Amino acid sequence: MGIIRMLEGNEAAAWGAKLARAEVVPAYPITPQTELISTIASFIANGEMKAQYIKVEGEHTAMAAAIGASAAGARVFTASASQGIVFMEEALWMPPGMRLPIVMCMVNRAMAPIGGLRPDHNDSLLQRDTGWIQFYCENSQEILDTVIQAYKVGEDKRVYLPVAVCYDGYFASATATPTSIPDQKEVDDYLPPYKHEMYNLMPGEFRTIRGFPQNIAKARYEVQKATEKAKGVIEEVDKSYGEIFGRYYDGALEEYACDGIEAVFMTMGSMTGTARDVIDEIQAEGKKVGLIKMRCFRPFPTEELRKLAKKYKVIGIVDRNTSYGSASGSGIVAMEVARALYSLDDRPLLLNFHVGLGGSDVTMRQIRYIADKVLDAYQTGKAEDETDWVELKDLGEVM
Amino acid sequence: MEVNKLFDEYYEKSLFQGGSTCCPGCGGPMFWRMALEAIGSNSIIYGDGPCAGCAIRNIKLPTFGIHFSFAADGATGIVAALNAKGRNDVTVISAAGDGATGDISFGKISAAAERNENMIQICIDNEAYMNTGIQKSGLTPYGAWTTTTPQGKEAPKKRIPMIIAQHRVPYVATISVAYPRDLKAKITKAKSISGFKYLHTVMPCPTGWRFDPAKSVEVVRLGVETWAWPLYEVENGVLRLTLKPKQRPIEDYLKAQARFRHLNKEQIDYVQQEVNNERQRLLDFDGKSVIT
Repeated sequence: MGIIRMLEGNEAAAWGAKLARAEVVPAYPITPQTELISTIASFIANGEMKAQYIKVEGEHTAMAAAIGASAAGARVFTASASQGIVFMEEALWMPPGMRLPIVMCMVNRAMAPIGGLRPDHNDSLLQRDTGWIQFYCENSQEILDTVIQAYKVGEDKRVYLPVAVCYDGYFASATATPTSIPDQKEVDDYLPPYKHEMYNLMPGEFRTIRGFPQNIAKARYEVQKATEKAKGVIEEVDKSYGEIFGRYYDGALEEYACDGIEAVFMTMGSMTGTARDVIDEIQAEGKKVGLIKMRCFRPFPTEELRKLAKKYKVIGIVDRNTSYGSASGSGIVAMEVARALYSLDDRPLLLNFHVGLGGSDVTMRQIRYIADKVLDAYQTGKAEDETDWVELKDLGEVM
Repeated sequence: MEVNKLFDEYYEKSLFQGGSTCCPGCGGPMFWRMALEAIGSNSIIYGDGPCAGCAIRNIKLPTFGIHFSFAADGATGIVAALNAKGRNDVTVISAAGDGATGDISFGKISAAAERNENMIQICIDNEAYMNTGIQKSGLTPYGAWTTTTPQGKEAPKKRIPMIIAQHRVPYVATISVAYPRDLKAKITKAKSISGFKYLHTVMPCPTGWRFDPAKSVEVVRLGVETWAWPLYEVENGVLRLTLKPKQRPIEDYLKAQARFRHLNKEQIDYVQQEVNNERQRLLDFDGKSVIT
């Protein structure tokens, strides 16, 4: 059994990396990720963690050093945010194609120029096409658990893909919540040392998958197949992790208070906590609206979502991101959901909301507004096509 | 037949595989053949150069690379992994072309030098982006024609070896494929030193410099003899000229390459003056510390 401590999200991520025995940590500081890497630096300085900490001169180098170390047989951890993630984007494309299971925390922060230091999801969602697996976490406990799970998923030989553990800056990264820290021995038993079957850079033992593929489509399809296989592995890992450590996250999608409910909305990241409270309140008032938390955005849980969609008449998608000029001005998650559900004969109505852009607070009143809109669509059988910019509505709040 | 046999026997032993896809006369295969004799088999080669890994593909050792804009960084990760595994016996070579070293990854090499990463960083300098079709880089010399400097480059070449030396790394040296013994001795010395070692080799490029591919060695030897490419090393900050040839006029070197053919007398005089100044500076500092 582990111990329970008050941990900020960044500290929880550092604990995850430590418990996973990450061997190489190349990192460059950026708000709001800094406490994460400085916590790791202290762990190493105190002798609590045995890892090579590379104080690189930029994020592009951080990811490149991660790639070199991962190919050379080391378990690697790194983290970044916002501008930093985008600065390393050239490098981010490499690990999926190279099949290197690097784990990286993406501490969400809005992109410049219309951003600030607080979170929205455009920085990590921008990387959705690279081939990285993406988890979105709600609180410190989930962050710690997901970092460990991320290695278990990424290093599975059916997968061999990098994994991004995303969580909102400040709301999750800097908020201390009670966090159960698993026992090192139990984590060691759960997560054996990293050994890549496709790579070895040691002289005399050299093997690699590098080089120009003869058939590019075939090589890309391999990566696509690996992301598909990852879905099953994510479920498996969530189950096996839960059996040992007692915490389950329902794989890729979590239904919250959805019994006998036909109208739901879907959230991602730290706003889910607020949404849970609102759902509890409004259900007590007799409003029948439930919540779906999207925990895994890549691979996109298409089949799981289709299964759920059969139960629901209305799904509202809450997007903490913008995609200027997109179809119906829609957010990124809504576009994916629409594609996933289009082939169903009996499709639910879809609504789309923008909230919390640039890290503005997602308030209970805003969530109530969203729930009411969802309920309204359920009752009238009609849904507005256009994305609802909730923050532009006067909800009578003093902000 | 006898020649074929010799060829086969040589490549049987060499760590470089014959039959590369490099241009005829490219210095790359030549360089790696010589260098690998000194580097030895217990090594990992990271990076590219010359020309996007063209020659590196023929190295019979573990090789790894990401993309040309990733100089020194992937090797930093490999060094860290070796440290994590307690493998201090393996030599890590990190190679990059002049475009990576002088332009797009300049900061990465500077940072690896500052961190004193335990690797041998080699700049393979053919003085332009040759793989993309001869475009100017920060290491293209003054006056040289490239497809992006059709009237000749206006600015001088960046002096990377001296810039790296100012990072106070343990070892910096310039090398040339025209002087194999000097080249191998410097690599051997670099291998014996712990920390960041920087080697800068000239890479004759008949395609981009416009000369007869049979004359690669001749052209770069002229570079050394005219002091356009002085051979020196900086060990713990102290400069030592490893060769002080009798100076030939720079015109001999420039006239051997069509990339300089448009230069007028005034421009040639200017290049000569620059070379003279640099030669004098090197002679003044010979045996002394260059660290400012």
